[in-house]
Amino acid sequence: MIAARALLLSLFVVMVSSASGWAAGVKAKAEVSCAATAKPLEYDCAIKLSDARSGAALAGVEVTVGADMPSMPMAHNVKPVKATPGSEPGTYRAQIKLEMHGDWAVKVDLAGPVRDRIVKSMRFEPKP
Amino acid sequence: MDDHLTGILSNIGVISFVALSAYLLLLTGEISFGQQAFFAVGAYTAGIVTAMWQLPFWLGLGAGAAAGGAAALFVGLPTLRLHGLQFAIATLAFAEAVRILFELFRYQVVRDGEPVGPNGIEGFRNIRYIFEHDVSATQFMLIIYGLLGVTLFGFFLLERSRLGVAFRMIGQDGLLAAAQGVPVFRVKLLAACLAGAIAGLGGGLYAHLTTYVEPAIFDVMLGVHSLAYGLIGGLGTAFGPLLGVVIDIGLLESTRWFAGYRMIVFGGLVAVLLIVRPRGLLDERLVHRIRRLVSRRPPPAPTNAAVLGEEPS
Amino acid sequence: MIPFIQTTLDGLMVGSSYGLLALGFALIFGVMRRLNLSYGPSIMVGAYLGTLLYIQFGAPTYVVAIVAVAGSVMAGVYVERLCFAPLGVAAGVASMVSSFAIWMQLEQASLLMLPRHSYPFPSLTSGELLSVGPLVVRPDYLIMLAAMLAITAALHLLLYRTRFGVAASLSGIDVRSTMLKAFALASAIGGVAGFLVLSANQQVTAMLGMWATLKGLIAMMIGGLGSIPGAIVGGLVLGVIEVHSQTLFGPQVRDLAAYGVLFVLLVLRPGGIFGTAAVSESAARRGGDRWTTT
Repeated sequence: MIAARALLLSLFVVMVSSASGWAAGVKAKAEVSCAATAKPLEYDCAIKLSDARSGAALAGVEVTVGADMPSMPMAHNVKPVKATPGSEPGTYRAQIKLEMHGDWAVKVDLAGPVRDRIVKSMRFEPKP
Repeated sequence: MDDHLTGILSNIGVISFVALSAYLLLLTGEISFGQQAFFAVGAYTAGIVTAMWQLPFWLGLGAGAAAGGAAALFVGLPTLRLHGLQFAIATLAFAEAVRILFELFRYQVVRDGEPVGPNGIEGFRNIRYIFEHDVSATQFMLIIYGLLGVTLFGFFLLERSRLGVAFRMIGQDGLLAAAQGVPVFRVKLLAACLAGAIAGLGGGLYAHLTTYVEPAIFDVMLGVHSLAYGLIGGLGTAFGPLLGVVIDIGLLESTRWFAGYRMIVFGGLVAVLLIVRPRGLLDERLVHRIRRLVSRRPPPAPTNAAVLGEEPS
Repeated sequence: MIPFIQTTLDGLMVGSSYGLLALGFALIFGVMRRLNLSYGPSIMVGAYLGTLLYIQFGAPTYVVAIVAVAGSVMAGVYVERLCFAPLGVAAGVASMVSSFAIWMQLEQASLLMLPRHSYPFPSLTSGELLSVGPLVVRPDYLIMLAAMLAITAALHLLLYRTRFGVAASLSGIDVRSTMLKAFALASAIGGVAGFLVLSANQQVTAMLGMWATLKGLIAMMIGGLGSIPGAIVGGLVLGVIEVHSQTLFGPQVRDLAAYGVLFVLLVLRPGGIFGTAAVSESAARRGGDRWTTT
């Protein structure tokens, strides 16, 4: 009966939160660019976060960067990495290690004052 | 709870739906390579309902499940009368056709100055319901498992019902079942619709969990994987496919050190496992034994083949 | 009129590669009534081994061909020993799922060998197009067509004139060595198909395993389960449909058309072009078909 209780609880939670109105919270926009490092399959990513509506930079957010391959969902095990804030407000840096080359969906998860998730499709090819 | 762990558990929960979907059809003896199509239909439908039409989450999920069931009905009608392998390939053809159709499907509305909606090959982004409505990762995980629990309860009831017995009878020997008065085609169609609805529900949850779906996700690999989960975990109980999912994703997460060789190891393990236990870990034989141990009253006698754990030759 | 014939001709050319792939599938299915999901990946292993030799050591084309075929055969035998031989007659689904697991294994092993998305592959001809009157033909594809016909003829002789053949063509007889030989032969044919297609395209991509499995399967189903002439016809038909669809509607519709035709065909005429019109479950059971045992 734990399942039933959990279901009721979550139903209640979602009902309450949906009653609180549309678009609670900030919508974030991200620009992501990744540069190859000396080590193969390791990339240095620079992320720029801003408020999608006002354009203001989003500083002080906990950013976690992960990646998955759309053509093989959950087949890879890229460890999500916490990003460090950069020099300018709203910029962050993270180093990710991929398992193979190809098309990846890079997930930028925001926690802290702003909660959101942005997914960017990027292609990672080896240096010729 | 640690965010990473929540994420993994949520993934396991969502994939379990499509695994259960393939399992339900396997019970009736039908192999489907195409359950991922209903997963896709559920995902896109739920996403459209919440992100584009701005309707409540539960409506989206319900619509996803209904769409999955309807699509399954649409496919099942012409194909379920086919012989086993033809049915399997037909489901494969259908699923791939659906995937390509999603690559061509474009339907967008403008929200907050940005287009939102399925955009062909680029997929469907910004299904941000859980962010817009402040549902935490843990809460969403509970929703997933709550619904999974309801589904498992449904399977529990099914196994003890006449319908469930009918399913397994058809799975063992369709001709014999028909001779005993079971309306084989209609029962299989029912199974297919339920399976489609379960996959559709899982798809809706998946879309909201990841906020982003694209057609490439719903390819043949997902379909064959969902079939494999049941075969690995066992066909004796609905926990079998769940076990299969846990083994796969759990193995993936816990063996980072041979990450590059994971499929080599996992594939080999599965092949060996299937030699030793062709009907999975929790096969009918084992489940029957467990039930006899647990209950004081002996359960209804399973068919011969179920006890032997193999089919009559 | 001429463009239509040209497109049809192109379709036949492409279709001959599908036909070769389907031959391998049909051979395995005809002998064992089993679906081998590792068929494409075994071809991939051979092709990748050949590519490795080509790019690392500049191996000549005939060496690449031999290695590609030999690699496919080795992979095929491995699959047979692990997935099909130990599981016996009854467990149809289990061996199929097992072959899927090995598909993943072989595909990852190949990608570990050569991680990039695509690599160059040696070509057989200079790539110059041949003109036959107003029509244009690619010599690489002509070679493929010729190879397909030659292999089919040889296979026909083998199946109907030799002891191996008689044992193999009586479906349901599971003589172990027959199975193994059938597998090896099917993989060899697949290896040839893979080599020819790759040399015609002059490149090999990471999608090879999936592509070969899907195309071979579809072509076989169109032509008729387990039927050798069906495999050829199915492959050619598939090729023609695909190329015409692409010309008319664009590349995405091409695959859609192939799947659509397959689906409609299965619903209307499940036996395929060369099979019986309605393969009912009871008829199949009477015929000793063990596919539906789960």
